[in-house]
Amino acid sequence: MEARLQALRRTPLSLPLPWLGAAAVALALVLLLLATRAGLDVAAYWAIGLAFGVILQRSRLCFAGAFRDLVLSNDGRLMRAIIAGLVVATLGFSLLMARFVPDPSFGSLPPGAHVLPVGFSTIVGGVLFGIGMVLAGGCISGTLWRMGEGYLNSWVAMLGILVGLSAAAHTWGWWWQNDIQYRSAVWLPARLGHGGAVALVVAALAGSYLAILWWETRSPRLASAPPRKVTPPALGVRAQLRQGWNAVFGGNGWPYLVGGVALAVLNLFSYAFQHPLGVTGELSTWANRGTGLFGASVGPLIGTDRFSGCNLVAGGSWLTASTTLDAGLVFGAFTAAVLAREFKLRWSRRKSRYPQLLVGGSLMGYGAGLALGCTIGAFFSSVPSLALSGWVFAMGLLGGAFVGVQIIRRLA
Amino acid sequence: MQIDVRGEMCPYPAMKARAALQRLPAGEGLEVLTDHAPALSTVPWEGAKQGFTFSIEVVGPGEWRIRLERASTADDASQVAHEIARRAAELSGE
Repeated sequence: MEARLQALRRTPLSLPLPWLGAAAVALALVLLLLATRAGLDVAAYWAIGLAFGVILQRSRLCFAGAFRDLVLSNDGRLMRAIIAGLVVATLGFSLLMARFVPDPSFGSLPPGAHVLPVGFSTIVGGVLFGIGMVLAGGCISGTLWRMGEGYLNSWVAMLGILVGLSAAAHTWGWWWQNDIQYRSAVWLPARLGHGGAVALVVAALAGSYLAILWWETRSPRLASAPPRKVTPPALGVRAQLRQGWNAVFGGNGWPYLVGGVALAVLNLFSYAFQHPLGVTGELSTWANRGTGLFGASVGPLIGTDRFSGCNLVAGGSWLTASTTLDAGLVFGAFTAAVLAREFKLRWSRRKSRYPQLLVGGSLMGYGAGLALGCTIGAFFSSVPSLALSGWVFAMGLLGGAFVGVQIIRRLA
Repeated sequence: MQIDVRGEMCPYPAMKARAALQRLPAGEGLEVLTDHAPALSTVPWEGAKQGFTFSIEVVGPGEWRIRLERASTADDASQVAHEIARRAAELSGE
């Protein structure tokens, strides 16, 4: 009896998933239809957000893990997939930017591209973000995706992120006056021409890829994955459909490389439509609304209109394209998790994890505020924009991840 | 030996698996019960560094059991033989 009770207690909270999955898909489509009334961009970014969430959930493309595992376990698989995605995005972005700005030496920046100022704020932001994402077990996009997958931990981390973004907004003036206003946004084509900039960035990405391969060999391991199960031949349309379904929603998820390239293509779609992917700016609006409840909201922030990135935003309307992008990410990840039968409400049993998540989230939020973006906006969208800022931010992230790993080893 | 790391997020499942592998009695395998999908990739990586092969079993919605077994040299030899046979078949156009 006792054993049965225990087994019952261990049984996860399970829902009738197929019905829930169908309902989630239907709701996503209804909301898409409703969103078209608010504007084409609101609807388009809802759809892009959904795809964003599905890609992240299915491929487990964790940007925090990419930096952390390099340091922690000489594991560069995630980072190599991200680099492959960056190559695809760089080639695509550069074609678009060459159309927007035929003569880059003229001094104008391509509209929408994430060419951000490079200063101490970029490095400090990157380091704080890097420490925070390791402590919180995921970066900002990772937190959004896991919120949809049923991680209560990630909801706690999000609270921390909002606190950090709010703190960044309240101290923005100081950073602007002492650092950011003197810094320029370095766009590589302005100095090297389109061709030279693309060649340099692709060569740097290829070099990073090779360096990571070398780094991985420093800890020898078995070469192998176990032999893959042989797929039985598909007899008939039903079996074909089932195999197709399983390729997307079955198994243990997509290979990282598929996720990296898919996210790069989505980023290209997003830029072709309006601007590259970024999730932070909208969250800062929400953070400001939250502090507004306590009468501590900030007004318009000086200088944030000078750069296009995930800038801190003081206010704005409730239903915008960036709202639907973030909401779509969470809902897309939820839908994918349900369809893949991976949705589960889960939380840490260790109480000490919750302060760790809050502190990690706050550091991340503050770092993202300073750097005008997170691993998506200030890195995955900035490197393909042929901006120097993406590389500097990435160096900061790597340094921060190193510090974060030292901390986390003591918190095990 | 079995460890239950449900509720833990990266990097804890892999770190705990690494520690458990290091104090694993000779001849034994390790089972890691997790509800964190990224662990399906990081835990086998830790195992591979210490000479373990893996298999993954779905236990329930969002729950998996990862089995890590010591790779014996005999296994390696049979894998090599299998690979050679596969390539031979490929070359002869079957």
